[in-house]
Amino acid sequence: MATLENDQDTILRASIDRSLRHPVMFFFTSGAAWLAVAILLGIISSAKVHSPGFLDSCPWMTYGRVTAAHQTALVYGWGCQAAFGMAIWLMARLSRQTCRNAGVILTAGHVWNLALSLGVIGILAGAGTGMPWMEMPSFAWMPMLLSYIAIVVGSMVQFKVRPEGHTYISQWYLMAALIWFPWFFGSAHLLVHGFSGSPLGAAGVNAWFRSAMLLMLFAPVGIAMAYYLVPKVLGRPVYNYSLSLIGFWSLAIIAPWAGMQKLTGVPIPNFLPYLGAFAAILFAVPAAMAGINLLKTATTDLATVNESPTLRFTVWGLIFLLIFGLASVLLNLPSVMRITQFTISGYGYDVLGVYGFFSFIAFGAIYFIVPRITRREWLSRRLIKSHFFLSLYAVFGIALVAIFGGLMQGVGQETFTSAWEDAADRVVPYAVMTTVSWCFLLVSNFFFFVHLTLMWLRLGRRSSHPTLLVEPHHHDPHGPEGDIDNAGPAVH
Amino acid sequence: MSFRNFAIGLTVSFGLAWFSVVVLPFFKLRELSPVSFEEGVDPKSGIYFPKTTGRVVDGARVYAENGCYQCHTQVARPTYAGNDLKRDGFAGLKADPDRGDTRRESNPFDYVGLDFAQIGVTRNGPDLINLGRRLRATYGDEADEHLYRHLYDPRLDPAVASWSNCPSMKFLFEKKEIQGQVSDAALDVAVEDGFQIVPGPAAKALVSYLLSLQHDDVVPSSMNYAPVVPGNDG
Repeated sequence: MATLENDQDTILRASIDRSLRHPVMFFFTSGAAWLAVAILLGIISSAKVHSPGFLDSCPWMTYGRVTAAHQTALVYGWGCQAAFGMAIWLMARLSRQTCRNAGVILTAGHVWNLALSLGVIGILAGAGTGMPWMEMPSFAWMPMLLSYIAIVVGSMVQFKVRPEGHTYISQWYLMAALIWFPWFFGSAHLLVHGFSGSPLGAAGVNAWFRSAMLLMLFAPVGIAMAYYLVPKVLGRPVYNYSLSLIGFWSLAIIAPWAGMQKLTGVPIPNFLPYLGAFAAILFAVPAAMAGINLLKTATTDLATVNESPTLRFTVWGLIFLLIFGLASVLLNLPSVMRITQFTISGYGYDVLGVYGFFSFIAFGAIYFIVPRITRREWLSRRLIKSHFFLSLYAVFGIALVAIFGGLMQGVGQETFTSAWEDAADRVVPYAVMTTVSWCFLLVSNFFFFVHLTLMWLRLGRRSSHPTLLVEPHHHDPHGPEGDIDNAGPAVH
Repeated sequence: MSFRNFAIGLTVSFGLAWFSVVVLPFFKLRELSPVSFEEGVDPKSGIYFPKTTGRVVDGARVYAENGCYQCHTQVARPTYAGNDLKRDGFAGLKADPDRGDTRRESNPFDYVGLDFAQIGVTRNGPDLINLGRRLRATYGDEADEHLYRHLYDPRLDPAVASWSNCPSMKFLFEKKEIQGQVSDAALDVAVEDGFQIVPGPAAKALVSYLLSLQHDDVVPSSMNYAPVVPGNDG
């Protein structure tokens, strides 16, 4: 059955995977390690909201610093590195080019981690800048930007020299993220660190930057990956191709305007928060287009979705993308905004985007990519299942509970006739729930990290049959996910 | 679509937004044009120039480094955006003995001299844009003493002890052996015999900054977009 063309194809894919093995595994494992750090800091930070005496004698563990370090580790340690790993692998595969600068990428990856580690230590030591999501001391951003460029420049070249023919929708999203990220990351940091004397301008840039991280890095990379994974694993075409094009361009046109709605009521020109709110509400359009398009594709074969670890995570990531879009609408309506603007809803929204939508797709991608580049299969379906269910509970327990809790808190804040104490008290139950959920996530990601590390050490199963989430005697040896293509007959 | 058109499309869609909501407002907000009081309309004349005293820059750095903005905001929003003008002490004093109702919404001059306007993320704690004003109104000359004790351990303050989840900033203070007399700056808190707790340099800067937060001065009527309507304020 293996024709010559098929063999060549298999060899090409295998050599692409082989060329990327070290950089991609580096990003995934160090990302997972950072995720563990972020979760630990998240537990400490959330516990302090309801139990302020917890660890309060240690200046490094004071609430403000821990919270900043928690978010920094989550966004730059886990989120960005998962995005890098996915982006360089996916671009190489879709452009059908092997990676020729793995050494450069690895080195740059280490620089990124070094700068980030020093940055997080800086925050905890009390040298943070005080700008949300840009808290790392000012020495960190330049090496991070340069290492980013070194990481992705190869992917851009691969796209440029790809064989003639079809350009995949995933490539569009990836190219957009690759171009946007250095632009907004570099310019935002340059403005706030390089030009003093514009305190409100800097606050505006910061608010826009936070939104850009979600909507212009995590959203396009996550959607790109989902557009690859769902059709690939199911072996079916995307439900509607033109919907995916409209979805892409609507994201490109809408997302850059969002962000300043966080500064509603702040003395900056009035059109900025209004435009920001308008764009944030409209973000539901690209979110729904990608989400519905891919979920429609997935519903054609729900049995496979249920069996495949990749698709289980990816499909839930897409469901969270829809909820994320819905939350963007709800939280930014003027009537709701005045209630939730300064509440824990904002944190819930961020966690929903970073952990619910993006990370679920990243986990799906990791369950797909890692066996291909290590040429080993996942060891235990039980570990995967625990990871999945605990993560799912935790997203509901953190993101959705915080979004709702923020509404309650906001009602308390706006009720000016009762004492502030009332608003403060309203947070406590939701904070307890958040702490419990972060503990779930700690357990969940402990499983994930151990599993991934074993794979990294190439201790996975030597098999060409994927690990599926069904009992062994039920599954067909040529299961629905198909053979691992790089372990096919042509490669020995 | 060719790669060229694709790149142009991406650059234009991003660049337009980037320039008009990020770069241009950033530099516009750098040069605030002065606003004058209008004779006959305003109680004052001349150019509005708010005065701030205290170790604002140092203290704001301590505020930023310790993440106070995670739970405290610094803005009195106009009525369309929230009820800040009505909440007691947020936007000014409802009945100042000398000036009457001093409440007003925040304006761009409130943040002059800082590198970053600490608007804040959540209000797990109360807004602070007029913290100095309301502490002075309540505690008078003992406002700084009160604030030191609050920073040392927020739950020592009976008014908030039962519910405050504000972290204690004990690390900004120093425990010193008493030599001779007890220092004037010593805090009235429990400490072992022969020792005293005194504020460190960072605590002094922070308290100086927090007490400087008094942004309820009279502004020209041209800037007073939403004056509080008497009788409609709860």
